[in-house]
Amino acid sequence: MRLGFIGCGVMGRPMALHLLRAGYRLAVWARRREAAQPLLAAGALACASPAAVAGEAEVVFTVVTADADVEQLAFAGGGLADGFAAGSILVDMSTIAPQTARSIARRLAAQGVDLLDAPVSGGGQGAIAASLSIMVGGKAAVLERVRPLFELLGRTIVHVGDHGAGQVAKACNQMVMVATIQAVAEALHLSRAAGVDPERVQQALAGGSAGSRVLQLMGGRMVARDFAAGVEARLHHKDYGVLIAEAQRLGLPLPVSAQVCQQLNALMAMGWGRCDTATLLRVLEAGRAPQTGD
Amino acid sequence: MRIGFIGLGIMGRPMALNLLRGGHQLAVWARRAESMQPLLDAGAATAASPAALAAEAELVISMVADAPDVEQVMLGENGVASGGRAGLVAVDMSTIRPAAARAIASRLLASGIDFLDAPVSGGEVGAVAATLSIMVGGSAAAFAVAHPAFGCMGRNIVHVGDSGAGQVAKAANQIVTGVGVLTVAEALNFAARSGVDPARVREALLGGFAYSKILENHGQRMLERNFKPGFKSWMHQKDMNIVMQSAHELGLCLPVSAATAQMFNAMVGSGLGEEDSIAILKLLERLSGGEG
Repeated sequence: MRLGFIGCGVMGRPMALHLLRAGYRLAVWARRREAAQPLLAAGALACASPAAVAGEAEVVFTVVTADADVEQLAFAGGGLADGFAAGSILVDMSTIAPQTARSIARRLAAQGVDLLDAPVSGGGQGAIAASLSIMVGGKAAVLERVRPLFELLGRTIVHVGDHGAGQVAKACNQMVMVATIQAVAEALHLSRAAGVDPERVQQALAGGSAGSRVLQLMGGRMVARDFAAGVEARLHHKDYGVLIAEAQRLGLPLPVSAQVCQQLNALMAMGWGRCDTATLLRVLEAGRAPQTGD
Repeated sequence: MRIGFIGLGIMGRPMALNLLRGGHQLAVWARRAESMQPLLDAGAATAASPAALAAEAELVISMVADAPDVEQVMLGENGVASGGRAGLVAVDMSTIRPAAARAIASRLLASGIDFLDAPVSGGEVGAVAATLSIMVGGSAAAFAVAHPAFGCMGRNIVHVGDSGAGQVAKAANQIVTGVGVLTVAEALNFAARSGVDPARVREALLGGFAYSKILENHGQRMLERNFKPGFKSWMHQKDMNIVMQSAHELGLCLPVSAATAQMFNAMVGSGLGEEDSIAILKLLERLSGGEG
């Protein structure tokens, strides 16, 4: 099977390398050509446009940032839709709004092209270790054709439902994860203000019912005051825009998510969008008068 | 002045009638033809499209639901831009995103049309009584042209600033009124569930620092359980969404607005969208284990 890949960022690059290493022929395009260099060095084929990638491949993967990026890759002049043959598959692994995924699926179906929305969880480390969780929306038969490729990228592959269902699951994933980061930040913030060592509290909590991967990973970063990214907080801020809009569209109250979104807004205003989301701790600290020893 | 008016709903109809009463020469257009009848009966003319309306007018006013509707009547097929002569002043009095208002203004300017965003506060009561607050964004020249028309519809008319500034003021207004309605409902529900007469509590509060127009008017309607709109909940939900989107774009922490927006989501999701926003009291009663 001939594959195409667009998106050579923190997530996309290691994912594309896994496909190349498994021996697939991989056509790539990048807005900035130098971004694709590591893939070209590993044997990928450089294309002049997304349409050219689509012309070279039966299955094309996209891993980009926002709704508008995916729509442009698909439908702008020289976009994927201009190059796809009927029967091709687009696998979009970006995190975008469920409604956008559904609309792209409808438009591609008109030319006989299938879409899977397949956002992932697990971060840059998960992409490198090929241990991602992949949440898939779209037709079951299409997923079965692509499943061997997903197995090269991740460990947990769940067919959540029809078009958009993968993105709904991803929104839920972000909701639970970032709300937990905020809770951990508040807990460690309280510990410190009360004169108790946050590291000991984190250790104590890890053994009990409050134990979680977020407590371990992000809590660890908070204790170590290591706020370099991991996952850039601006991406979580973008995802919260998606899920708050979805709550509005569905007439659904999400009181905790709405509050977390406000903390992310504050984080962005403080210019920390490129730091890890563990930085939510610093947002709390910014709201408190400086203490001796800070 | 020859004025064209687009959109004859709960707010638009009484506003247009007040322009007629003020002696202006009025032509109207609405998507649903039957909604034009009360204006025809009162002496207004009708037009076949926003373009036809604009061709005959010195001032065009729209009062519709949301940004896509404004874009449609101003810039769409047979819209104001395709009929209006250069020098026309177009005023949108709907509540839309500030960014959308700025974009519409710059596109209309390309056709030589000067645009004002002029959303209002005061509800149906204010529209009927011509006591609306009107918050205006746009050029001083266009504001001067539209001012006599504003004077027929409202009392407190403020030129807030450039394009979009009227909508920013309106979003700020919706923060205060949205949060205010929820706060008054919480206070009255708190009193009732504590076994105290909420009417007496309202009366007591009116004399102190908790006094507000919302406590006085909306509070009274809550006590009467008169949930007839007024201002429909789904519209307040839409307005809070404008606020929260702007906060997201600007990197603003608005925790109380965020909580209020979620409550309006719950209202719409639980079938209260067509009732007045004071029906938020019913939602609170349900969430507190009452009948609602």
